[in-house]
Amino acid sequence: MQHKVKTGSPLLEVKGLSFSYEKKEAPVLNQLNFQINQDEFVLLMGASGSGKSTVSLCLNGLYPEAVEGFQSGDIYFEGKHIESLPKGEINKQIGIVFQDPESQFCMIKVEDELAFTLENRNVPTEEMAEKIDHVLNLVNMKAYKHVAIHELSGGQKQKIALASVLLLEPTLLILDEPTANLDPVSSLEFVKLIRNIREEHQLSVLLIEHQVDDWLEDISRVLLLDQRGSIILADTPNSVFQSNKSLIEELGLFIPRVYQKKKESLPIAVAQTSKENCLRLNQVAFKRWKKEIFKEVNLTLQKDEFVAIVGENGAGKSTLLQLMAGLLKPAAGEVSFLNTPLSKWKEQQLRKHLGFVFQNPEHQFITDTVYDEISFGMTLNEIDPQTMKKRTEDLMEHFHLTAHKWKNPFSLSGGQKRRLSVATMLDETPDLLLFDEPTFGQDAKTSEELMRIIQQIQANGTTIVFVTHDMELVDQYCKRVIVLNDFSIALDGRPEELWEQTELLKQARLRPPARLEATEKVGATP
Amino acid sequence: MIEQLNPTLKAFTILVPGVLLGLMFDIFTPLFYLVFVILVTFLFSNISMKKWLLIFTPFVLLAIGFAWMRMLYTRESFAGGEVLFSIWQFDVTTGSVMIAISLGLRSLCFVALSLLFILTTDSTKFMLSLMQQLKISPKITYGVLAGYRFLPTFRHELQVLRQAHRIRGVGRARGIKGRIIQFKRYSIPLLANAIRKAERVAIAMESKGFTGEKERTYYHPMKVGKRDWVFFSTMVGMFFFIVILSYSFGYLNVFGNQF
Repeated sequence: MQHKVKTGSPLLEVKGLSFSYEKKEAPVLNQLNFQINQDEFVLLMGASGSGKSTVSLCLNGLYPEAVEGFQSGDIYFEGKHIESLPKGEINKQIGIVFQDPESQFCMIKVEDELAFTLENRNVPTEEMAEKIDHVLNLVNMKAYKHVAIHELSGGQKQKIALASVLLLEPTLLILDEPTANLDPVSSLEFVKLIRNIREEHQLSVLLIEHQVDDWLEDISRVLLLDQRGSIILADTPNSVFQSNKSLIEELGLFIPRVYQKKKESLPIAVAQTSKENCLRLNQVAFKRWKKEIFKEVNLTLQKDEFVAIVGENGAGKSTLLQLMAGLLKPAAGEVSFLNTPLSKWKEQQLRKHLGFVFQNPEHQFITDTVYDEISFGMTLNEIDPQTMKKRTEDLMEHFHLTAHKWKNPFSLSGGQKRRLSVATMLDETPDLLLFDEPTFGQDAKTSEELMRIIQQIQANGTTIVFVTHDMELVDQYCKRVIVLNDFSIALDGRPEELWEQTELLKQARLRPPARLEATEKVGATP
Repeated sequence: MIEQLNPTLKAFTILVPGVLLGLMFDIFTPLFYLVFVILVTFLFSNISMKKWLLIFTPFVLLAIGFAWMRMLYTRESFAGGEVLFSIWQFDVTTGSVMIAISLGLRSLCFVALSLLFILTTDSTKFMLSLMQQLKISPKITYGVLAGYRFLPTFRHELQVLRQAHRIRGVGRARGIKGRIIQFKRYSIPLLANAIRKAERVAIAMESKGFTGEKERTYYHPMKVGKRDWVFFSTMVGMFFFIVILSYSFGYLNVFGNQF
């Protein structure tokens, strides 16, 4: 994987950039010095909360104006200080694609959103149509010109976000975790799209990303941010990922698979699964707005199983999980849990035995402190105060939350919120625990920590089901995987079986884990 | 077709007869104008009869309710004429019945006029037109448009929130105190998310070069043409024609003064 390191003139130069939200607090960014050259592809890496996104917003002048914040240092764009440029000018030179596909648009239709960019640039009306068509061709979205944005899939939305930014005709493109919310195939498509565009147009890129496997061949330089917001390393990918591996591990970041040792087998030996049924779906059907979503789903989960549900965005993964939890009622068929139909369970009893961790942990918070949050379920179940106190403290200890005992759950960091939301489900050992994308948007350290916790819970006799896009997790932790495609179960078996079915993988927009992909190299065409 | 008219002028066209109708206390004027508006609705727009009826019908009940209350509580100066019948302690006179029916018809006129605007106007075009015709700041109009996109997400999120709380064992709220506590529980995460999203959208808009300045070019230039003025004169002209007609028949009653 040899690639040309182009040395152009500096496009962007940052000198001593610091940023803090409060004057007295420790700065988010601390004395940054770096430059991005013409046509260069730079990766910015750092642990969650290290201020990566802040960098991008400072670079195009949105910070400190958009928030209450204090910035010092100088940023030069093509040799000019960005403060000397007229308002809005720097935004046209530096385009940003953000992480969340839901919240970067202000118009309803695709063409109007693209026109919005052109209008901001004061492009004459008669030139707009041609430019819009051209950029839609560039991102392969010509057919969607008149479609409403909310009808698009996540991957398509990100392409439109990219298109609208390209219409600025920027010289520097900042990509802020652009593929974090996409299914594996869409995310690879996005990477290839950027590659194609860069072949035709001169464009420098600053990429902010956790998992960089797919981008690796594009990256010419890596900047590494530590938790204090300082750049501690700036070098070629080879040198960063090979010679400084321990440093990256220390920061809790993902190391690209190519630079990893061959993966060892499962860290915890999985106990023999018993033949006892935990959950059974019998001929379950589900309709929403008269539209059939599931038709005759049959599924049995045994005690102690560790099962992943995978499939493309919108294939019905979350709906299936909600049916399992009794949050949605099937239109026909029956869901039975511990050999009793869900309809016969008393709500309070059911919630004691069946837990569910939602994608956004904030949704599950009810009380004002971490302590109350964990003890909430026990209060409802009228457990005696002595036991309750002990159990709560044990759980806080176990999930490293003791130091934050009296903090408001909303003020915790992302990883802490996630841990707390799991802890709240464990006041009694549940028989079944369902997770909706538990590792979503987490860095390597928090993801791994969480998966280890989930494994421990399973070892204590809880059946685990989780929805995920991450095939590495499936490969590493699961003995059974359920593939949803077109609202039906396309496969229910061992992960190894799935990796062999190239056709199904393609249909369900999944990719085999990196350890297999490296040898086979599937799907090379965009 | 009314769909193609300029939204701002259309709003103005609807507003003028709407306000003037508020002064007409007789039966003839609103009744004939209502018939006229309904005719315009079905002859010159693509609104489906079924959809229109579905929205309009509930308002008929509401209008009857208004009329009924007005009949019982007519101000004394209007409640002239002989007593027709009495209910409990209310005497219903011919005057109060007339006023009541007029009020009912006027409300229906407002509804029909509003529907004529709402069902034929695209929200994006309306905002674009407000910017181009009335020179309203792009900051406001694009803000409204961005907010408009949030509505479906908001509903979805509330649904998820309810489920998440059910999992935690929080049942349906009972009593007023329970409801207040529940409201607090729901509103904090909803608001927290809404603020975060709004901030993200604002940043995304600015990063696409949006400055909020009024000087900008438009992909859809909104113009006021001849047919917009034709529509305006027809709607307003017809109103005055009906007023004159009811005057010549001796029905006209403006704010309680018979002409």
